[in-house]
Amino acid sequence: MHSITRWLGGAALAFTVLMPTAHAAEPKPIYFGDLTWESGSLITEVLRVLVEKGYGFKTDTQPGSTVSLEVALARNDIQVIGEEWAGRSPAWVKAEAEGKVFGLGDIVKNADEGWWVPDYVIHGDAAKGIKAVAPDLRSVSDLPRYAEVFRDAEQPEKGRFLNSPAGWTSEVVNTQKLKAYGLTDSYVNFRTGSGAALDAEITSSIRRGKPVLFYYWSPTPLMGRYKLVRLEEPAFDAEAWKTLTDSKNPNPRGSRSLAARLSIGVSAPFREQHPELVAMFEKVDFPIALLNSTLASMSEQRQSPRAAAEAFLKANPQVWQAWVSDQARSKVEAAL
Amino acid sequence: MSSGFPESLHHSIAEPVNRLVDGLVVNYGDQLRPVADTLLLGVTWLESGLRALPWWLLLIMVFALAWHAGRSWKRALALVALMFLIGVVGLWDKLLQTCALVLVATGLCVLLGVPIGVLLAFRPTARRVIMPVLDVMQTLPSFVYLIPVLMLFGLGKIPAIFATLIYALPPLIRLTDLGLRQVDTSVREAARCLGATRWQVLRNVELPLALPSIMAGLNQTVMMALSMVVVASMIGARGLGEEVLVGIQTLDVGRGVEAGLAIVALAVIIDRITQDYGRRESTKPG
Repeated sequence: MHSITRWLGGAALAFTVLMPTAHAAEPKPIYFGDLTWESGSLITEVLRVLVEKGYGFKTDTQPGSTVSLEVALARNDIQVIGEEWAGRSPAWVKAEAEGKVFGLGDIVKNADEGWWVPDYVIHGDAAKGIKAVAPDLRSVSDLPRYAEVFRDAEQPEKGRFLNSPAGWTSEVVNTQKLKAYGLTDSYVNFRTGSGAALDAEITSSIRRGKPVLFYYWSPTPLMGRYKLVRLEEPAFDAEAWKTLTDSKNPNPRGSRSLAARLSIGVSAPFREQHPELVAMFEKVDFPIALLNSTLASMSEQRQSPRAAAEAFLKANPQVWQAWVSDQARSKVEAAL
Repeated sequence: MSSGFPESLHHSIAEPVNRLVDGLVVNYGDQLRPVADTLLLGVTWLESGLRALPWWLLLIMVFALAWHAGRSWKRALALVALMFLIGVVGLWDKLLQTCALVLVATGLCVLLGVPIGVLLAFRPTARRVIMPVLDVMQTLPSFVYLIPVLMLFGLGKIPAIFATLIYALPPLIRLTDLGLRQVDTSVREAARCLGATRWQVLRNVELPLALPSIMAGLNQTVMMALSMVVVASMIGARGLGEEVLVGIQTLDVGRGVEAGLAIVALAVIIDRITQDYGRRESTKPG
């Protein structure tokens, strides 16, 4: 017992002695949230390169889950979240209402979510010898006819729709959509449990050339890597959308999903201290097709986000030059 | 970034492994899916069988089993009450789904674990090879092998059973091995002297003497299978784990606690019954 307490005490002492010296006399860097999904990590690194090289600030990242990063942003423990799906999480909405965090810009226009099938399901792929198994599949209303194509292994008399993991906001929407489109009798609402499992199942099906029907969103590497077709849905209708997001509504009505607004989240102190960076963040605009293909090659070549960000900036100067000040532009160009 | 380790010595096996997995999926995925689907039929059959039973009949069956194991009215009643409570919080259906998964996984564990344990006890070479493998099985983070397995066998119950098997098998093997090696050599020799064959000694002398240890192993296996339930739900297996997952992901702590406690209750029920069987065997006279 004694030796354990002494050991712990020693460790604690060593910790307190060593910690301050490690960080002494450095100007505090700007902390970015270390986003773990592909588009988030790429956008974060692009912004970091621009801030570091163009404006001369030191930056660093802090890991954390989405919610914990949003809470950290509200407390100014981190200063920037590179890709914020503003308005989707209660933590964000509360902090924004209190004026602690701000969402800047509209960084990826046409960010999208919906139901997708691989292109070969509809058109076939002669090169790979895949026949078109659902040639007339255009819209969600065609799905009942093709339940057999997307056969569920556990309940073979039904088709399988790969929903997002239970607990995501989109899972509720998709479940309501299944009801709204009258698919509950012909399709199994298969919740995939985790994003990794959803990705693995889609990738495995596509690699083997099998039909698969799934929920997905963009910007993502998957969208850039494979040829996918989005099934048509009724046009967006705000009233119908409300019935889709409410899991308790018994009679939901069909509608496309609400267009997502992706912005850059910054803390209130950051917004006051760095007006020049705020001005830049507000102009950020990634064309979605280019972003998807960049993400696809990043994921295929297994590049680090940093390397992918630098390659992106080098290859696409026309995209980012409009965002930054003239001075910063020449500095970034010189650094690249 | 790299803390001083010479760059020239860096060598990553990530790429070859990625190519291997991709190759397996493209070349063997289509053949393996039907195998998985056959196994899946067995699980769904068991699951729908459990669900077809009226709830009170199932409770009576658990009661009978618990009484048979422990010969104690009080304990059997307490266990049935626990199971009743799971139904009360509205998790009956999920409970049965989890039960089916755990039962199939445990059954496979016994089919594989006991023979491997016997092999380990009598073959030193096998011991030297298998022991490190068991260490790997118990420590390798499950998502590392789950995702490739998922790509090969499809989402849902099959990769879940596979993962449970990998994680929950080692204790049964280890304790079967331990139990057999602790059998008194004089007893073994006495049996041999009476003219029993190798097989008869194993079946009638060694395995019965090792049974308490084997039952302890089985008990551990079931407990570990239950603790994999949440991980299993992350790859699309339905059941109590899914409820826990949803509870966590939506910050619905109450829902998570409810399902979590239901898993604990199920664990207690299975634990008491298997332990009682183990204890009875060990105290049986003769």
